[in-house]
Amino acid sequence: MKLIIANTGSYPRAGDSPELQTLRKTIAAVDRGEMTSADLADAENEMTRRAIEEQARAGVELLTDGQIRWHDPISHLAGKLAGVKINGLLRFFDTNTYFRQPVLMGKPERKGPLVVEEYRFACNALGQIPTGREGTVRVAVKQVLTGPYTLAKLSLVEDPAMQPLEARAEAYAAALADEVKALGESGAEFIQVDEPAIIQVPNDWGVFTQALEPLIRARDAVRKAGRKLQLALYAYFHNPAPFYEKLAQLPVDALGLDFTYDATLVDVVAAAGSPRPLGLGLVDGRNTKLESPTEVARVVERLLPKIKGERAYLGPSSGLEYLPRDGAAAKLELLGKIRAAVNG
Amino acid sequence: MTMSREKLKKLGLELPLFPTTSVGSFPKPDYLVKARADFNKGRINREQLSELERKATAFWIEKQEELGVDVLVDGEQYRGDMVAYFAEIIPGFSKGGLVRSYGNRYYHKPIITGAVSWPGPITVEWWKYAQGLTKKPVKGMLTGPYTVMDWSFNEHYSDRRTTSLALADVIRKEVEALIAAGCKIIQIDEPALSVRPEELPIAIEAMHRVTDGMNAYFITHACYGAFEHIYPGMLEVPVDNFDLEMSNSDLNMLNLFRSQPFTKDISFGVVDVHTHVLEDAEKVNERVRQALTILPKERIWVDPDCGLKTRTVEEALAKLRACVEAARAFRN
Ligand SMILES: [Zn+2]
Repeated sequence: MKLIIANTGSYPRAGDSPELQTLRKTIAAVDRGEMTSADLADAENEMTRRAIEEQARAGVELLTDGQIRWHDPISHLAGKLAGVKINGLLRFFDTNTYFRQPVLMGKPERKGPLVVEEYRFACNALGQIPTGREGTVRVAVKQVLTGPYTLAKLSLVEDPAMQPLEARAEAYAAALADEVKALGESGAEFIQVDEPAIIQVPNDWGVFTQALEPLIRARDAVRKAGRKLQLALYAYFHNPAPFYEKLAQLPVDALGLDFTYDATLVDVVAAAGSPRPLGLGLVDGRNTKLESPTEVARVVERLLPKIKGERAYLGPSSGLEYLPRDGAAAKLELLGKIRAAVNG
Repeated sequence: MTMSREKLKKLGLELPLFPTTSVGSFPKPDYLVKARADFNKGRINREQLSELERKATAFWIEKQEELGVDVLVDGEQYRGDMVAYFAEIIPGFSKGGLVRSYGNRYYHKPIITGAVSWPGPITVEWWKYAQGLTKKPVKGMLTGPYTVMDWSFNEHYSDRRTTSLALADVIRKEVEALIAAGCKIIQIDEPALSVRPEELPIAIEAMHRVTDGMNAYFITHACYGAFEHIYPGMLEVPVDNFDLEMSNSDLNMLNLFRSQPFTKDISFGVVDVHTHVLEDAEKVNERVRQALTILPKERIWVDPDCGLKTRTVEEALAKLRACVEAARAFRN
C-alpha cells in the first residue's frame, strides 16, 4: 500500500512579505491602468512557480499549480465557455469567500481549451525545480476541474432551454469531457473533479451521476489511446458520511473525502471499506490549528487496510487558499510528518 | 402584528411607517482612506486618525439627517472588516496572516488563540459620539457570535458551538454596556447565518445568550445566503427585526415568505449595494409594493441591501436617498 502526499487544490496566492505580494500588487496596478495584461501574466507565472516550488519542497508528490490564476472555482471555468456571462458575487459555500456567478444566456459551450495551458505551464515549472532526489520519488502535477454538477447548481439561467438543472449539468458535462480529453492528450495523468455541491444537495444524485458519465467516457477514450489518465472525484465543504456508500460506488479512480465535518466518517469508512483508492482529507484545510501527526497517523493506520487499489492520497480537506500562506505551508509539512509517523 | 411597534413605543421610540435606516457601513471619504494608510505606515498617530474618523462620522450623521433617514448609524468609519475590528480589541484573538476574500481583496483573518473575554466597552464611545450629534435614534452595531466564530480561525476552543457561546458571553456584555449608555436599537449582524444550515441551532442558542432579558429592540442583518435552507427555522433567532438583502436576490425570498409567513419586522433591502447603477424610483417602489403583498405595513422598514462601504460617497448618498423617497411615497 502506497500513501501518496497530495495537495487537494488551491494554494494561497499572496503572503505577508513583499515578495509574496507580487500578484496582488500587479492586479491592483492593472486595474489602475498602470500595468498591462502581460505584466499580469508574468506575475501569475511567478506566483504559480513559487506555489509549485513550495509544494515540492514540502514533499508533496501529487501537486497542483495552486489555482493561482483562478478568480474562483466557478467563474474561471464557466467564464471561458460561450453562452455564459459572469454576474455578481455570491458566497462560496461556507468559506467566507465569494465567487462570481455565471449566468447562462445560452447553452454553455467549449470553444477552446480551458486549463490545458495552465497544466502545461505547471509541468514545465515542476521540471525546472532541482529536487536533488531524481529517481527516488516521482512528483507529478494533478489538474483540478470543478465538476459539471457544481457548475450547473451555482449558475443562474436566462436561456429557458437551460432552466432544467439536468440540461445545465449535461451542457457543462459535455464541455468538461472535452477538456478531460484535451488534458489527457496533453499528457495529464491525474485529473481531480471537484463536486462540493453534491454532498449539500443529495436529492440531485441522479443529475450528478449522469453529469459525471461523459467525463468518465472521456477518460476511457484517453486510456484506449494508450495513456494512463486517472480521474478522481473530490467532495468537500460538508459531511459526506451519509452518502459515503453511494460515493464509494462511483466509477472513478479515487474518491476524495473531507473528514473535518464529522468525526464519525472515519468509522463509516473503516466499517464499509473502499473499493478504490481514497483521498484522505484528514488535515483541516480551513483552520490554522495544526493537527497532531501521531493522532492523524493512527487514523490513517485504521483506514489503510480497508482501502483497495494499493494506494491512498493523504492531503488537506480542501484547497489551502483559505489559510494564510505560512499556515498553508505548515499544513503541507504536517502531511510529511503524518506519513513518517505511519511508516514508523 | 404590531407587537414590536409596541415594544418600540415602550422604549420611547416613535417611528413613522416604513422607517428608513441603513445596514451599517458607509464609504470612507478619501481623506480618511489616506489617513488609515498613513497610520498603518506610522506616519500619523492614533489621535490624528481618530480626529478624522470623528470628522467622517459627523459628516455621515449630518447627511443622514439631511436626507431624512429615521434610524441612523455611525457609518463605521473607524472599522475595517466587521469581524477583524472586534477581534483586534477582544482578548483571546491574535492577528492572522492575509487571506483572500474574493478577487484581489485580502484581509487579516483573526485567530482565536486563547479564552475570549470582554475588555470593557468596545463600541460605546463611538455610539455616544454619534448619538450626541443627532436627536434621531442611532443603532448600536455589533457582529454576532456565530459570524465572529465562523470568520475566525480557532486554535483554542474544542468545537464551533463552544466557540460561539464563549463569544456570545462577550457580546452580551457589550450589549449591556450599550443599553446602559442609552442605546435602544441594537443591530447584531449574522451574515454567516446560512452558511451551515445544520448549525442554525448554534446561531440561535448563541443569540439567546446575547439578547435574552435585554431591554432593547434587536435587529440582525444577514446577506448573500442560501436562505431556503434555513427558512422558516431562522425565525427562531431571538431578535425583533431581520434586515435582509432582498434586491440582489431578485426578491426570491418573498416566495419563501409566501410558503411560511414571516413573523418578524423586516428591514427590507430595496437597493442593490453591489452595483453602482442607481435604481430608478419606479423600481424601488415596486420592491416595496412586493413586500406589501406579503407583509403588513407596520412591519416593514426600508433600507439598502447591505453595507454601502464599497460604493463611492456620492453613490451611497444616492442609494440612501432612493430608500427615503420610496418610504415617503408609501407613507402618503
Ligand atoms: Zn450584508
